[in-house]
Amino acid sequence: MTKLVSGDGRTHIDSRLMRESLQDRRVTAGTDSDRDVHIFPEAALIGIGGQSIFDRGKDAILPLVDEIAAIKAAGDKHMVLAVGGGTRVRHTMSIALDLGLPVGGVAQLIGAMEELNAILLNALLAKHGSMPMQRDHFWDLPLYFASGILPIAISIPPYHFWEPPPDDGVLPQHGSDFGLFQLAEVLSMGQLIFVKDQDGLYDKDPAHHADAKHIARITLEELLANPLPTNILDEELFRAWGTAKNLKRIQIVNGLKPGMLTAAVRGEDVGTVIVKEGARG
Amino acid sequence: MAERKIIESTLARANLSAPGAVDFQPIAVMPNVRVVKLGGQSVMDRGRAAVFPILDELVAARAEGIPVVVLVGGGTRARHIYSIASELEMPVGVMATLGKYIPFQNARMIQMLLAKHGGIYIMPDDFEKLPLYLQLGCIPVMSGMPPFGYWEKREEGSRIPPHRTDAGVFLSAEFLGVRRAIFIKDEDGLYTDDPKKNPSATHIPRISVAELAARDLPDLVIERVVLEYLPRARACKEIQIVNGTKPGMVLAALRGEDVGTIIHA
Repeated sequence: MTKLVSGDGRTHIDSRLMRESLQDRRVTAGTDSDRDVHIFPEAALIGIGGQSIFDRGKDAILPLVDEIAAIKAAGDKHMVLAVGGGTRVRHTMSIALDLGLPVGGVAQLIGAMEELNAILLNALLAKHGSMPMQRDHFWDLPLYFASGILPIAISIPPYHFWEPPPDDGVLPQHGSDFGLFQLAEVLSMGQLIFVKDQDGLYDKDPAHHADAKHIARITLEELLANPLPTNILDEELFRAWGTAKNLKRIQIVNGLKPGMLTAAVRGEDVGTVIVKEGARG
Repeated sequence: MAERKIIESTLARANLSAPGAVDFQPIAVMPNVRVVKLGGQSVMDRGRAAVFPILDELVAARAEGIPVVVLVGGGTRARHIYSIASELEMPVGVMATLGKYIPFQNARMIQMLLAKHGGIYIMPDDFEKLPLYLQLGCIPVMSGMPPFGYWEKREEGSRIPPHRTDAGVFLSAEFLGVRRAIFIKDEDGLYTDDPKKNPSATHIPRISVAELAARDLPDLVIERVVLEYLPRARACKEIQIVNGTKPGMVLAALRGEDVGTIIHA
């Protein structure tokens, strides 16, 4: 039976956090445990690069769309797709910064550029059963999965005008790589795969160094301790993963090489696999 | 292989995690607005006795021509849902989503009370209409919770969302280019300990974030992320905490007077 408590001028509902300050670490520690409830552990989230795939146009996009359609036709995986914005996002930010718009204003603007790629992707995949998913309509996912619909999610997180001041520089810190990470993390998805235009991470930029060495497997702890100068995913993703609980691995594959995404979705170690040691099972 | 079709710009080829120096001369969006938080547990849960006198002062300030935007907190119902949801081991993003609903309710209550004085309920998507509402003499009322929801990050050792309504108020002020965000609570500001539990706690009228951090208090009057963001904010460099249960304090704060506690960058 719910109990109402008063006597200090306020009316409280009896609970463990009643009257307590939620800033008090002695109080908040009692809310934690080493696991989260698993929501969609069988699902795979696939993020397709804006600059790396979509900005290359038809020759890069159409073979990848065919591959995704084939993976879906095989029917053994619950997939969610998402896309980045690419060069139009950079142009938007460049103009917005020149105008002096605050960081929240810049964050509010850039999602529209990704949405354009999401519309293109959906137009190409619709006949195979794709549908755009509204911002946080995750509770529709069982319906999508059961009916063979391939949802296309929004990558950019909804920080909008409320984007926090960045700890370095003037650009919004919470971009689409972070947004996809957070989506996979909060829903405790089994897989997060980024589709780019190189085979994953290298010790230096392979576009400029013929002797660049490919990294097949690396731990999050190693990446945080020694950040790569050429990391193709946003720093904020790795910072957030550091304090997160659920995701155990993130994979990067080359979307210009046929078959790599298919292999990754099947669970094979292609491209670069980043693992978080000590993540719970 | 098809080349990337690049739009040339200063950021076209930059590493966005470390873009280097960018020429940035920020503008202030609406620097004269007063961004005010009405506390959930500290004000709303006290009911009519606390709420009505504060609203009288907000209406009085508006009548003086001071543009006011009111953001509202959650309170004991938020604590109740956080308590049950954390027992169920809900992820922080789910906790933050649950935490949105109670400030929505509270903001709607305030709107009903302020309607005859121009109170209107707005959502995050209405933020761009603030100039219209304020020029009409309205008092926009909204939830203080920032819209992060499922995208809220986890803070080490806690399941409570780190960005709650204090953060939303601060970030609203920061976006609008407002120098000082005002927090209406039920105490005179910052104390050396929780004055509700420790009667020997003493009041602090003005303090810097660095001085506050040096005290390493286990408890704080304001969400920790606000103190983390203040030093690197571009516009909002101060937060003011005033006691809404003391007559005249809210109006004084809205007029720009230094009452309560001011925490500065």
